[in-house]
Amino acid sequence: MNCSSLDLKAYIVGEASAAERQQVESHAAACAGCREELASLALTRDSLLMMRDEEVPRRIAFVSDQVFAPRWWQRVWRSGPQLGFASAAMLSAALLVHAFVRPMPASAPSLSAPQISQAQIEKEVDARVDLAVAKAVAASQAQQLSKTAELLQTAEQRYDSERRTEMAAVAGNLDILYKQVARSYAANNQLTGGQ
Amino acid sequence: MIFREVEDRDLIARARRGNVDAYNLLVSRWEKKIFNYLLRLTGNREDALDLSQDVFLKAYQNLARLDDVDRFSSWLFRIAHNEAYSLLRKNRPEGELVGDVVTAESSGRLFPIELTLAVDSALKRLSDDQREAVLLKVYQGFKFDEMAEILSCPVSTVKSRLYTALDLLKQTLAPVSASARGPKNVLNENLRGVE
Repeated sequence: MNCSSLDLKAYIVGEASAAERQQVESHAAACAGCREELASLALTRDSLLMMRDEEVPRRIAFVSDQVFAPRWWQRVWRSGPQLGFASAAMLSAALLVHAFVRPMPASAPSLSAPQISQAQIEKEVDARVDLAVAKAVAASQAQQLSKTAELLQTAEQRYDSERRTEMAAVAGNLDILYKQVARSYAANNQLTGGQ
Repeated sequence: MIFREVEDRDLIARARRGNVDAYNLLVSRWEKKIFNYLLRLTGNREDALDLSQDVFLKAYQNLARLDDVDRFSSWLFRIAHNEAYSLLRKNRPEGELVGDVVTAESSGRLFPIELTLAVDSALKRLSDDQREAVLLKVYQGFKFDEMAEILSCPVSTVKSRLYTALDLLKQTLAPVSASARGPKNVLNENLRGVE
């Protein structure tokens, strides 16, 4: 295998196929020059990865803007559930209108008792709906907080693990390089007779 | 990773229906990556932050034109690339060194400061094209074909830029890395052994 036919950089940046990786590894096992080149490239890559990402100084966020937001009918039209809800609301409204405008029977009972009853029912329904909404919001917020805490913990653990892995990789590469330098010094000393 | 992509897809779908909260969540996921990419490309925090805002605004305005939601990341980086190069072309001639310094103080206190500074300095000595190739491959992990899409150039050009950059970085960083104090100072131990 010729040294120049191997793409060592593709190997280092993770673009080599499985076959190419195997070729590079078997060649490097027998070729000191390529082994040294691979070690230098790995050291360079690991040094680059020591640069940590900075936090964004200010959060980027958008508020609802009429210029960009779709019109209400576009939102309704694009959403199946909303469209269904709107249809149901229109049907309910039609039924209510029909109920109020239809002619009353001649022998209609007194309105005072049903009116009081209706008001009470509406009040009770409102109270129950408010309670249900408050419960749903509280549950949603609690779930969100829990999820955020969980995500934060996972992210911290992953960051710590990545840092340890990278440190180990750098230490390993430095180790190889240092040993090579030491061997060069030793060989040089032998050649020069220790002078 | 798959889980994350699915969630991004869902957020994109909701954002397309005008849900600003969904888009803000999408922004919060990507803002750090985009900001750091722009920071290392322009070398200026204020510019990077302004450009990040512009990138996410343009992305929101053009979200409906995104054909393949699975390629959201490369599409977003393509917008960031265009924004950054508009600014770079306006501010300084092609190939001129970046002025501001991304200090080691704010990026990676856990690691040897000499090495972090050397990495920062070495990146700045690259041309804009070479530096961007390193940023997209080493820091963002894009594949060559995705980089070609982001940069609007052939894969061969991407490889050429990256490989030249790696050669230049290796010349600068390998000696510094070898002399930097690692977790185990093997070099000094070995040198003492051959003295």
